[in-house]
Amino acid sequence: MATARMEVRRRHGYGSAASFVILILLIAWAWRGTEFEPAKLTESLPRLAEFLGRMVPPDLTVAETVAVSTVETLQIAFLGTVLSAIASLFLGLLAAANLTPPWVHQPVKWLLGALRGIPVILLALIFVSTIGLGPLPGVITIAVHATGMLGKFYAEAFESARPGPLEALEGVGATWAQKIRFGALTQVAPDLARDTLFRFELNLRESLVLGLVGAGGIGFYIQLYIRAFQYDKVATLTVVVLVMVIALEQLSVWIRRRLR
Amino acid sequence: MLRDVRFRYAKDGPLVLAIDHLAIDRGERIAVVGPSGSGKTTLLRLLNGSLRVASGEAVVLGQQLLPGRRQGREQRRRVGMVYQDFALVERASVFDNVLYGRLGHAHPWLSLIGHFAAEDLARAWAAVCEVGLQDQSDQRADALSGGQRQRVAIARVLAQEPEIILADEPISNLDPALTEGILGLLVAASERRGATLITSLHQPQLARQYAERAIGISGGRVVFDRPVSQLTPQALRGIYGATLVGEAQPHMV
Repeated sequence: MATARMEVRRRHGYGSAASFVILILLIAWAWRGTEFEPAKLTESLPRLAEFLGRMVPPDLTVAETVAVSTVETLQIAFLGTVLSAIASLFLGLLAAANLTPPWVHQPVKWLLGALRGIPVILLALIFVSTIGLGPLPGVITIAVHATGMLGKFYAEAFESARPGPLEALEGVGATWAQKIRFGALTQVAPDLARDTLFRFELNLRESLVLGLVGAGGIGFYIQLYIRAFQYDKVATLTVVVLVMVIALEQLSVWIRRRLR
Repeated sequence: MLRDVRFRYAKDGPLVLAIDHLAIDRGERIAVVGPSGSGKTTLLRLLNGSLRVASGEAVVLGQQLLPGRRQGREQRRRVGMVYQDFALVERASVFDNVLYGRLGHAHPWLSLIGHFAAEDLARAWAAVCEVGLQDQSDQRADALSGGQRQRVAIARVLAQEPEIILADEPISNLDPALTEGILGLLVAASERRGATLITSLHQPQLARQYAERAIGISGGRVVFDRPVSQLTPQALRGIYGATLVGEAQPHMV
């Protein structure tokens, strides 16, 4: 008995040592690949200080323009989240292994995986070049990109529904739709709301950069001011964005905590 | 009526239920007894259609259950089931849970937006009152005690207006003090409606008290089928096996 336990411990020890060596090798591999040089970082410090120095005092004359544009970013994130939630509800139901047969949920899971795999900036470029400049391609980009993750989250929420009540509703003669509406949705509604709010926070941050490729919102001004070396305007923009993102995240966290 | 019914959970899995012949008349009060894993729950779930027979002939309320086929909505609503773990939608209110018992009768699409006919609402409310939960009707199911939850589950079945009520060990998750209330409620409610009541039970003394006929199942087969008065210690040994009866006798008989 004791020998067996020692054998297990010995093997476990080898396992930990091997993992440690693999981790070191991976760090070395990434270090070399990215030409990570601490000396270069130290040299750049004065330039960073100069950059920051040129940000103060912030140029408040652009505050209104920036605020209007920030609201547009918020609108893109909000509408994108709503559209994505609608699509995710439909796809999430189809992707839930306890609600649909494998020939339905497996392909839908692959589709959601593929959507998650496309980088958001690539999607934005595709929609800007097909739809044109402005916030509309931004909304569509967010909606499509977020559905990959939200659909997966929704499917997992449905899969976590207790099977007993679903069977009971089927037993009373409920149709499939009634079973989903009253059995599954009622059970997992707080999870869906939490997932959606969390995704809204991510969407908000992602929609900040959409303007870089012409898909509306504050990102347009980020690139405009940086290219023109107007760092005092960048400072105003940063403050406005920070205030909005932090305020909305706090609100979202507060709501999420109250869901049960 | 079941004839030559066979059931397995997996195609090549072991035979879980093998019933050569079993006939139940309408309005009967039956206790299904037998050790854990003997096939009691499987039998009830076959009768209510959540499991599908693998082979054989099964006729429930004049409707033939075809092997591998799901039962239609109308057939499903004619058979009600009370579950061991209550199977309530925990976040929904008492009244809503009872109203779900009307889903088989409600409009398939209008009900989805919360519209139920006045008759559905009235029958659900009557069922809530029948189990004595009118004062808790707005409470969420997860705020109730075990006994209250089982009352909600019974009310859901009553709202369903089934012709057969199946109860799968309805008291095994409850305080022994609540046993009489729950079983008494089931018997009274089914008698009032002339519904058949089939209850699976672990305690033979309760079978004698609340049923007229006992069906003993062991190893997936019917090994006893007589009036409850004949459920003697010797008969129990035949159902549960000598050792088990010896161990469990003090509280069982």
